[in-house]
Amino acid sequence: MKKFQLNEKQLGYAMVIPSLILVFVVTLWPVAQSMWNSLFDYRLNDPTRSQKMLDANIDLERYADNYFYIGNQLEALASSASGENTEKVKDIQQNIESYHEELLSDDQIKKDIAIIDEMLMKYQPVTDSELKYQQIDNDFAVDYRQALQSYQEDLTAIAESTSDDQLSDQFEQTAGLLGATSNTILKSNFIGLDNYVKYFKDKRMWQSLWNTTFFTIISVGFELVLGLAIALLINRAFKGRGLIRASVLIPWAIPTAVAAMMWGFLYDGQSGIVGHYLEVLNIIPDASWLLSTSDGAMFSVILADVWKTTPYMALLLLAGLQTIPMSLYEAASVDGATKTQQFWSITLPLLKSSILVALLFRTLDAFRVFDLIYVLTGGGPANATESISIYAYETLFAQQNFGEGSVLSVIVFICVAIISIIYVKLIGSELISGKTR
Amino acid sequence: MKLWKSALVSFGLLLLVLFLAACSGGNEETTDDSGNTDTDTETTDENTEEEKVTIVYARGVDTTGANEKLVAAFEEAHPNIDVEFREMPADTGQQHDQYVTAFSAQSAEIDVFDADVIWPAEFAQANYALELDRFIEADGINMDDYFPGAVAAGKFNGKQWAMPKFTDAGMLYYRTDIVDTPPKTWDELIEQASSLNGEAGTQFGYLMQAAQYEGLVCNAIEFIASYGGQIINENNEVVANSPETVKAIKKMQEIVGSDFVPDNILNFMETETETAWIEGQAVFARNWPYMQASSNDTERSKVVDNVGITTLPAGDAGSAATLGGWMTMINRYSEHPEAAWEFVKFMTGAEGQKITATEGGSAPTLKALYDDAEVQEASPLFANPEFVKVLEAAVPRPVTPIYPEISDILQIELSKALTGDQTAEDAAANIQTKIEEAMSE
Repeated sequence: MKKFQLNEKQLGYAMVIPSLILVFVVTLWPVAQSMWNSLFDYRLNDPTRSQKMLDANIDLERYADNYFYIGNQLEALASSASGENTEKVKDIQQNIESYHEELLSDDQIKKDIAIIDEMLMKYQPVTDSELKYQQIDNDFAVDYRQALQSYQEDLTAIAESTSDDQLSDQFEQTAGLLGATSNTILKSNFIGLDNYVKYFKDKRMWQSLWNTTFFTIISVGFELVLGLAIALLINRAFKGRGLIRASVLIPWAIPTAVAAMMWGFLYDGQSGIVGHYLEVLNIIPDASWLLSTSDGAMFSVILADVWKTTPYMALLLLAGLQTIPMSLYEAASVDGATKTQQFWSITLPLLKSSILVALLFRTLDAFRVFDLIYVLTGGGPANATESISIYAYETLFAQQNFGEGSVLSVIVFICVAIISIIYVKLIGSELISGKTR
Repeated sequence: MKLWKSALVSFGLLLLVLFLAACSGGNEETTDDSGNTDTDTETTDENTEEEKVTIVYARGVDTTGANEKLVAAFEEAHPNIDVEFREMPADTGQQHDQYVTAFSAQSAEIDVFDADVIWPAEFAQANYALELDRFIEADGINMDDYFPGAVAAGKFNGKQWAMPKFTDAGMLYYRTDIVDTPPKTWDELIEQASSLNGEAGTQFGYLMQAAQYEGLVCNAIEFIASYGGQIINENNEVVANSPETVKAIKKMQEIVGSDFVPDNILNFMETETETAWIEGQAVFARNWPYMQASSNDTERSKVVDNVGITTLPAGDAGSAATLGGWMTMINRYSEHPEAAWEFVKFMTGAEGQKITATEGGSAPTLKALYDDAEVQEASPLFANPEFVKVLEAAVPRPVTPIYPEISDILQIELSKALTGDQTAEDAAANIQTKIEEAMSE
């Protein structure tokens, strides 16, 4: 029998499969998840929308908790009310009971309610969402919810027409309870692309997108020029070069949040030295301009970012510089080329792909800027430094609005994808043109 | 087919690795846990009959040291409960975000936590908090002993979700060595701040909180209410776009744009205000009552005995102070609700609030404590019936489960008005439309 063996091609595929799976699990899956989330009206702090539901559901924990009170309260109401009100309350009680029976006709739900009832008695929270949320028939959900809401209205009307304050209160409370119960029967919160439509019209989204783009272009531009200068400097042989190279890297080594706090103190309008010297040198109108005005805050954020990440740019460019053979420069100087000519005709063209790679990394990084701005300005003043990531954070975590926050994340993803495609196209064509020449 | 086989094998291997990783993580946890219980039972055998539990208590940065004393006093009274303290960020917004991240993951790591008065509605609706009514009833706690505003802040949908721990309201601080009669109206404040600025080494006439954060909302609510405006009324209608609100925002713009406030007033939060104030740099300052304690701290303050406190200046409709303060809540997913309740009960009861008041300088929410000699001694404020009246009548911020969104809108629009990026009229109109949109969703 022939031994089981893969041919070369199959072996090749087999080797990359684990990495493909990793790529899928680590990168594509979260993106797909965000896209899926963004199609829902999904808010963690709102019990009626805290689950993604394509069909009607019932929140059994809250339902069971409320139902526990409904019977007693209606009973009490029926005994203290008089005349037709008693009839009305009894009617409501009967109807709710029949709806409840219908709900319990599903064996699974009946079993689960029993478990949940027991847990509630012991103050145990229901953390298992399989147990807590049960899918129910759409029509039944609509009927039950509407019925509860109409009973709530009926009871409120009785409460308003009742002259006895205590009784009126009692009606009011039961009405509230029924209203709350109707909220435990959940509608589907799938809303398709509505969230995208909302953000397409949202000025704040466009403003933050513009802030991010402005920040990215200006800071990456400065970093490129400064980084190239530093790279050229430390590429030359001179005494103490190792020390300079190491010290240039210090800003890059400091954690961003720490650097942001540090710059916060340096920029401070009263005691910050950066603010003070920039004012003395007439670069800025006054020391407080830095963090108290829209333009100043943007300037401050960009300056801090340039300080922080120029070393990274320099390092990437230095690596590129070191691949250029010295013989080219020697040949050029024999031909009588000046240093400037050498820079423009040898260094820059040969460094082009390194520059593009460095720019790609930095542009993507800058576009996702979050920690620096969050610590330094918090997006203010006047929201002038709010980047798209900060906006996404506010929506996702401060407001717990996962549906809308996911839309913003997806927008960040799309922008990052577009930037990457542009750069990769440029780098790719660069490599190909190099090959054919 | 062969390709598929190998694919399956490698996929299986990957799953196995992931599974093992997950298991080892889980194992560590369980061993940790059992380790803890072991030591716990050991101490139990030696010390007490009851089982010893450890609860985790989270609150923001505390610079006064009252917190340690509070925990120590509680542990002494309840030897079977250990309280572990977890410090949270000082910025209330950042603190909020950390809590909601933990609680929305249904984490049980925090048992008891301090909540800003603006959170209970949101936390209750999101099911992050344990309702306290059954505990309150079982222990016979009379909620009428507390300030009604503070109790109402912890109530949502008819249930009590939070116990009031201490209350706060915006106050006007002034330098008694410079000011003869404190200003009665905002216009008088502007006049005095401008003319007295520079005396006794001061550099600023007035300090307030104007950075783009929650404190700006508090300051703005005071201006708006003092001119008779409102953001959301009793019937849950948005009424921000009114001549009163516009007038109030204009007054804020006037003060922020004047030359007697620091140039960087738009970066000022409570800490900056406190630092400048105790350095003796300002004639007037708006801050919460806690600054009374730091003003008279001989080690830090340069203005000891020269600080007076009064109600904030009045607008057309009188003086108004924003209701601040902190509540204590229990995590819905806490594994020790009974122990947690014991701690909450102690902390918000007379004994605990007395420590918070005498050591931390925070105003109690229990009315009876204002008659207590030690509390009165702790701060002249607490002995002042005017102050107690201010506390009782403080204006709450909008009560709504989507408060973070409302606050976000207010912060941005007000900040834009103060930097001059938009007029007061536009700010009021934008606040109106944006909050309406947010509430209708």
